[in-house]
Amino acid sequence: MGSAYLVRRLASAAITILLIVLINFLLFRAMPGSPERIILRGVPNVTLERLEATRERWGLNEPLFPDQFVSFLQATASGDLGFSFVARGQTVGEVLAQRIWPTLILFGLGELVAIVVGLALGAYSGWRRGGPIDFVGNGVSLILYSAPYFLLGMILLLIFATNLGWFPTFGMLTAGATYSSPVDRLVDFLSHLALPLATVALGLIGQYAIVMRSSIIETSSDDYVTTARGMGLKDSRVLRHHALPNAMLPTVTLVAINLGYVVAGAITVEVVFNWPGLGTLTVEALTARDYPVLQGVFLLLSVSVVLANLAADMVYGVLDPRVRT
Amino acid sequence: MTVSELPIVRRTGSGRAMRLGGLVRQLLRRPDGFAGLCILVFFGVIALVPDLLVGPLQTPVTGLENGYPRLAPPSFQFPLGTDELRRDMLNLTVHGARVSMVIGLLATVITVVIGVIVGVVSGFIGGRTDGVLMRITDFFLVIPTFVLAIILTSIIRDMIGSASREILGIRMTLIVIIIVIGITSWASTARIIRSQTLSLKERAFVDRARVIGAGGGHIMNRHILPNVVNLIVANAVLVFAGAVLTETTLSFIGLGDPLQPSWGQILESSREIGAPSLGAWWYFVPPGACIVLVVFAFTLLGSALDEMLNPRRRARQ
Amino acid sequence: MTAELEPANEAAAAGAHVTTAAERRHRPLPKLADPAAPLLEVEDLKTHFRLESGTVRAVDGVSFRLDAGEALGIAGESGCGKTTTALSLIRLLPANARIVAGSVKLYGIDLVPKNDNALRRYRWREISIVFQGAMNALNPVHRLHDQIAEPLMERLSVSEKEARKRAGDLLELVGIPRKRGSAYPHELSGGMRQRAMIAMALACDPAIVIGDEPTTALDVMVQAQILELLEDLRHKLGLSLILITHDLSVIAETCDRVLIMYAGRVAEEGPVHEVFRRPRHPYTQKLLSAFPNIHADRRTLDVIPGMPPDLRHPPPGCRFAPRCAFAMAVCTEVVPPETRFDDVRVACHLYGPESDGTPVTVAPADAIGPSQALVGAPLDVPPIEVLEG
Repeated sequence: MGSAYLVRRLASAAITILLIVLINFLLFRAMPGSPERIILRGVPNVTLERLEATRERWGLNEPLFPDQFVSFLQATASGDLGFSFVARGQTVGEVLAQRIWPTLILFGLGELVAIVVGLALGAYSGWRRGGPIDFVGNGVSLILYSAPYFLLGMILLLIFATNLGWFPTFGMLTAGATYSSPVDRLVDFLSHLALPLATVALGLIGQYAIVMRSSIIETSSDDYVTTARGMGLKDSRVLRHHALPNAMLPTVTLVAINLGYVVAGAITVEVVFNWPGLGTLTVEALTARDYPVLQGVFLLLSVSVVLANLAADMVYGVLDPRVRT
Repeated sequence: MTVSELPIVRRTGSGRAMRLGGLVRQLLRRPDGFAGLCILVFFGVIALVPDLLVGPLQTPVTGLENGYPRLAPPSFQFPLGTDELRRDMLNLTVHGARVSMVIGLLATVITVVIGVIVGVVSGFIGGRTDGVLMRITDFFLVIPTFVLAIILTSIIRDMIGSASREILGIRMTLIVIIIVIGITSWASTARIIRSQTLSLKERAFVDRARVIGAGGGHIMNRHILPNVVNLIVANAVLVFAGAVLTETTLSFIGLGDPLQPSWGQILESSREIGAPSLGAWWYFVPPGACIVLVVFAFTLLGSALDEMLNPRRRARQ
Repeated sequence: MTAELEPANEAAAAGAHVTTAAERRHRPLPKLADPAAPLLEVEDLKTHFRLESGTVRAVDGVSFRLDAGEALGIAGESGCGKTTTALSLIRLLPANARIVAGSVKLYGIDLVPKNDNALRRYRWREISIVFQGAMNALNPVHRLHDQIAEPLMERLSVSEKEARKRAGDLLELVGIPRKRGSAYPHELSGGMRQRAMIAMALACDPAIVIGDEPTTALDVMVQAQILELLEDLRHKLGLSLILITHDLSVIAETCDRVLIMYAGRVAEEGPVHEVFRRPRHPYTQKLLSAFPNIHADRRTLDVIPGMPPDLRHPPPGCRFAPRCAFAMAVCTEVVPPETRFDDVRVACHLYGPESDGTPVTVAPADAIGPSQALVGAPLDVPPIEVLEG
């Protein structure tokens, strides 16, 4: 990979993260109430010394720009996101840390399933454009794409948990259960995971299938695909070895760009199933107007998405020889 | 990007109307366009005259006064059943159409206006302005704007206080949602319009206008905007689908207004009482199906329009 | 157009021994092949495109023959069906195109009725194609030597090591250093890419190579080099060549025979020197005069008035009649039959049974001239592309 390309991407990601922190800073200052009160609202028994120390720490005695922003930037960089209003005495970092793993598991696995299934479905639909699989596949993709994720979740919940009773209806583990072995615990966890995971995957599959389908359709009229056919290669080889590697290029970018949008959907799925991740945390914080936590979630998700985009750019660089040089 | 700049877009109105007639005829000839338009007209009518169809919006009081049953499954009297506050679900769903579609429409207008202004200015002026504007656009394209919208909505609501004011019959809470959706989702419109502006800029007639001595504003108004109208229409249709989805999701996590329930707000109420676990499917399936249908129709229309109007895709066929 | 239109192939000029297909080959003919049959014989080929607005008769009854070692040029305005004709040979057509009639016989084996899987065996091994503008015809994400080696490994089951080695040999054969094989297409110049494309086409040692405007996108110097390379390879390897171009001078330099197409049909076909020296069909005459005549030091270009017909609704008689200065009443009603004069076929009413084949260059007394009413609706193609060439 060319180092110029790498540097350009890294710089772009850094600027984006800087903008995210800036937005967070502006939101923080836009909130009603004085800043030090906001910062310390979640801390019991605030002394005058503590208040003064906080003003000092966050540069609140200095002008807004650049001093306060720089202080804010430093605090953010060192992981200091303030205190939760609700979980008294707990820092935002601690609150986030408790909730990140459930989301990571749910969303990561869902993304994995959706990428494999969605891209395969889209590639096949586009390659056999107008065929029966395309007709059904594209229709289903469009409907999945049009449905809010949480609605899919509610319907799955209704069918598979309430009516059929195959899966539990909420949570990550059965409340109050004792397990005789770690395996039991895992089984319980997996049965709780199944429906939310299926929901996230289904929601994403529609989107990925649509993106891949149109990318394959564009690619399949390219000349090198005709060349590959002209070579007398098997149809499946033309698809896998010639059309797909090229169709993947715009797909990687689009999938990465849509990540930020997709995150919103994933949040709501957690709410439906009471999955104790960042999504339910967001709603809890929203209800309690726990702004530091909300801002922490925003920062965490934004930076994750930016990093994922950076990773996608790197993947793109590996896939496309034209950007390497 | 303020109200004073609005007339720029309005000036193209007559041209847009003329083109739209032809567009609709073309759309009706395609199966996807036809299906999309049918669904659109259906929900459009419902949103326009909900009172004629199902009477005024029911409140917890109406349900109690009339002695309706609680959370009753669909029956002859209540084709879509009732909710836990004894309201007729058909009534709520029909009225929800108006709320959802009005919010979607107004948010689309804001989104498109911002997107078009940023896109045209960026593409037309170029240079450093373009660099800065596109930096910001890319930023909004990448970050999870939904989370930002959540924070913005609640902060703005806190700032304006618990206002029960209404503007044009829309409650303040919903106005905030409209504005927040508008200012967080314009980025892709700006991108599309910018690239169209760039290619238009190169064309001869712009050069001619410049030679005659027209100023930048005049060229933008007279030569660039009329030529991106097609693209704006196609994009606005897709933006609308996105706006309806965003509104639904925001309402679902508790930012809706129970006094003017949109479809998303109804879904939120149903989740609140655990309708899926109670097997009360009539509570969330009908409004959910409406959302899916509307978004589906607009996605169909948007991609059909895109195929018809986007010069690059047209050339491929 | 030069007056000394020498046949490019010296062996053919000597008129002596014509190699048969079987003699040239290093490997056995396909099963069912008839060793006595001509290499390629196309009869009454019709390929139509189905559009929402109607059926486009892109190729509508084309016949020709290609013997081993021969080079055939197919010329005509763009949209006349020359590329579709060539792609129909190995059915490399878009999804909405169908061969509706006719036969394509390779060594006497008719390829038209074969299913896709059976036809696949003939692609690249017997007939390969060099496409126009190799930037798009080469896969941007694969290295050159991998692209050249792919058909060897996939079709001929050659080992990877062997295939790589042969890919290197082929690159050297077309004048690219072996070590450049590890480059990606975007790293090469246009001329180099076209050379690589030729190397690719030669990978399976095919009997016929089709060049679809192989030099169009290149600048003049590189064009000449590529043509020279093709010419050289043809003699060295004993290839048969079908060259599709709108540039008649390319055909004059490289081909033995020329087939002039107009609106999906053959206007005239014959040896290059004969057709170019004594063009009989009014369309051929117009095409030739549309080129600057270097010898007469004439710089003006003759423009053919009107546009090619709309192939969804072609005119009932001769398709050129609406634009033909010599058109007679019969031309607008009756499809002209092909008439033979020695080795030349011409489809024109001027050369009826009483004609001795002398080219008609003056409009006959009963000519009705181009009738504007009959000029077809414009196609989506630039009308007279020969002028741009």
